[in-house]
Amino acid sequence: MSQQLITESQQVTSAGVTITNLSKKYGDNQVLDNISINVKPGSVTALIGPSGSGKSTLLRCINLLEIPDEGTITVGTTTVEAGTKVSDRALLDLRRQVGMVFQSFNLFPHMSVLRNIAFPQEKILGRSREEAEERALTLLDRVGLREKAQHHPDRCSGGQQQRIAIVRALALNPRAMLFDEPTSALDPEVGLEVLAVMRELAAGGMTMIVVTHEMQFARDVSDHLVVMADAHIIEEGRPAEIMANPVQERTRRFLSAVLER
Amino acid sequence: MDFVQYLPQLGQGLLVSLQLTAISVTFGYAAGMLLALGVSSQLPWLKWPTLIIVEVGRGIPSLVVLYVVYYGLPSIGLLFDNFAAAAAGLTFTVAAYSSEMLRAGIQSVHRGQNEAAMALGLPQTSTFTRIILPQGLRSSIPALMGLAIQSFQGTSLAYSISVSELMSKAYQSSSITFQYLQIYAITGLVFAVIAVPSTWTSVWVERRLAKGFA
Amino acid sequence: MTLLVTVSSFGIGAIMAIPLMLGLRSNYPPIRAVFRLIVDLIRGVPTIVWLFLLYFGVTLGHLRLTSLSAAIAGLGIVSSAYLAEIYRGGFATLARGQIEASHALGLSPATTFIRVLAPQALRTSLPSITTFLLALLKDSSIASTIGVTEMVFSATTFSRQNPGTAGLTPFFIAAGVYVVVSVPLAIVARRLDSRLRRNN
Repeated sequence: MSQQLITESQQVTSAGVTITNLSKKYGDNQVLDNISINVKPGSVTALIGPSGSGKSTLLRCINLLEIPDEGTITVGTTTVEAGTKVSDRALLDLRRQVGMVFQSFNLFPHMSVLRNIAFPQEKILGRSREEAEERALTLLDRVGLREKAQHHPDRCSGGQQQRIAIVRALALNPRAMLFDEPTSALDPEVGLEVLAVMRELAAGGMTMIVVTHEMQFARDVSDHLVVMADAHIIEEGRPAEIMANPVQERTRRFLSAVLER
Repeated sequence: MDFVQYLPQLGQGLLVSLQLTAISVTFGYAAGMLLALGVSSQLPWLKWPTLIIVEVGRGIPSLVVLYVVYYGLPSIGLLFDNFAAAAAGLTFTVAAYSSEMLRAGIQSVHRGQNEAAMALGLPQTSTFTRIILPQGLRSSIPALMGLAIQSFQGTSLAYSISVSELMSKAYQSSSITFQYLQIYAITGLVFAVIAVPSTWTSVWVERRLAKGFA
Repeated sequence: MTLLVTVSSFGIGAIMAIPLMLGLRSNYPPIRAVFRLIVDLIRGVPTIVWLFLLYFGVTLGHLRLTSLSAAIAGLGIVSSAYLAEIYRGGFATLARGQIEASHALGLSPATTFIRVLAPQALRTSLPSITTFLLALLKDSSIASTIGVTEMVFSATTFSRQNPGTAGLTPFFIAAGVYVVVSVPLAIVARRLDSRLRRNN
């Protein structure tokens, strides 16, 4: 089943994501200070760290929801350089290669579940309505939510809404996926439904960058763990190694605080 | 009960009041939408003039607007008949008020909606017309319904520039029969019979909308 | 004159609104329904109709209300209904916990109402009250139609006496005065509103 979800959604191959010397300030407040990360095609990177460390801002810079002050972002073959004028074309080009899943789902409440998934395909990929809806139904089926197609999002549970949000992004054949604390707004057992879908995606070879507090998921699924604090990357490497033997005192304190809950 | 014979007169007046309401609401809301877009604009040359129009429209009493259109504008060569002056004046007031309601509705749409559309790669125009606007309009519906009821009541001001709507018919009838109390009480009731159930309907709609989209 | 009409009718409305609001908040559904009907009926009748009704319609023997007192009474009645609704809204937003806490402390219902609930309700309704005061200021112009010599009446008279020369000027002056008075008030209302939101 995992192979199915990815192979049919990925008609193009997964892309790598490279971030070089990225910096951003809000006024006098430095939120990202000279960050560089290299995410290999088809790999999963987990971003962890205390709140306010800049991990969500970093994620939101990758698809330019936030505009960085300095640095470059490369997704596949598209490169955007901060500080230069980014054309609308380059902006849309980048965003269309990267899917994003938000903490608060952000489904469109005035559209049915089916239209939520089909409408962006029609607008962005130029698919016909029939084609887009058929694809939406196929993907909904894969995550076990086909019967919700005609419902509005507010009739779905949080876990269902988040799975729909993932499907909405997947339907556009992204080459990489960003997840911004996808389970933080959910009860633990509901979060598992969402994590299961993410595991399938990872197993199918999707490039993923995940901001998360789910240590179990980070350890089991991610290939690379990045620990951020105070706008910096303080430690990165193999998840199991960092969790067993953190080098930095900050990492040690953060991990024990998260794991004790 | 002589005033009963004036009821058909009042009925004719009511018809004119309803026509004025229909005109001022239809054109007022359309113009209000344009003003709301102007005020929300990033372009200073568009934003400030529209903001001034809106604030002036909301700051000046509707009655004064009617006087300006009817007595004032002819002096710069713009001549309106009574009905047209009333329609134009009321439309202006409705446009100013509705623009703020529409703007508030659009602003109330959650920021995440815009971000989700941006992240999907939707172009700005379809993000606005297909994602933001439908949700914003929906949340302005109760306020716009309330404004429609107010503008129906506001048509009574057109009496002052001699439009033969409900209020002037009442005035004519009462000055013939001298039955002021009865005729104005009936006139008030006619307004209330339309306005009060409409208000209840709008409250009901508001509660329904608050329940969600399903 | 404009200010006199506005201030007096606001004063009358602010006081008369209290019993109306209590009726709207009554524990007995029939009383609530009656007061709801009264308030909606008052608001359903246009202000100008109220003024004509009181000015031409009400006679005590051979006495009639002067145009000024009819205007103040009419606008006062209308204000009382709108303000009752605003007060009610203010009380409705109060947390149930406030009443329960007061009862638990052993405060009497009257003390609870006057010392605990009313000050909080007044605070939350202050922006709406300011907005309403602005609307009332503008509605006081309607008094001109029954001959109260407020600003709009003077403007109309002046422009009728000088048809060739006056043109738009008197109305623009009157309009300007409204804008000058109402825009600062509107800004105050907006500030109050955002400050209250921040505190909550």
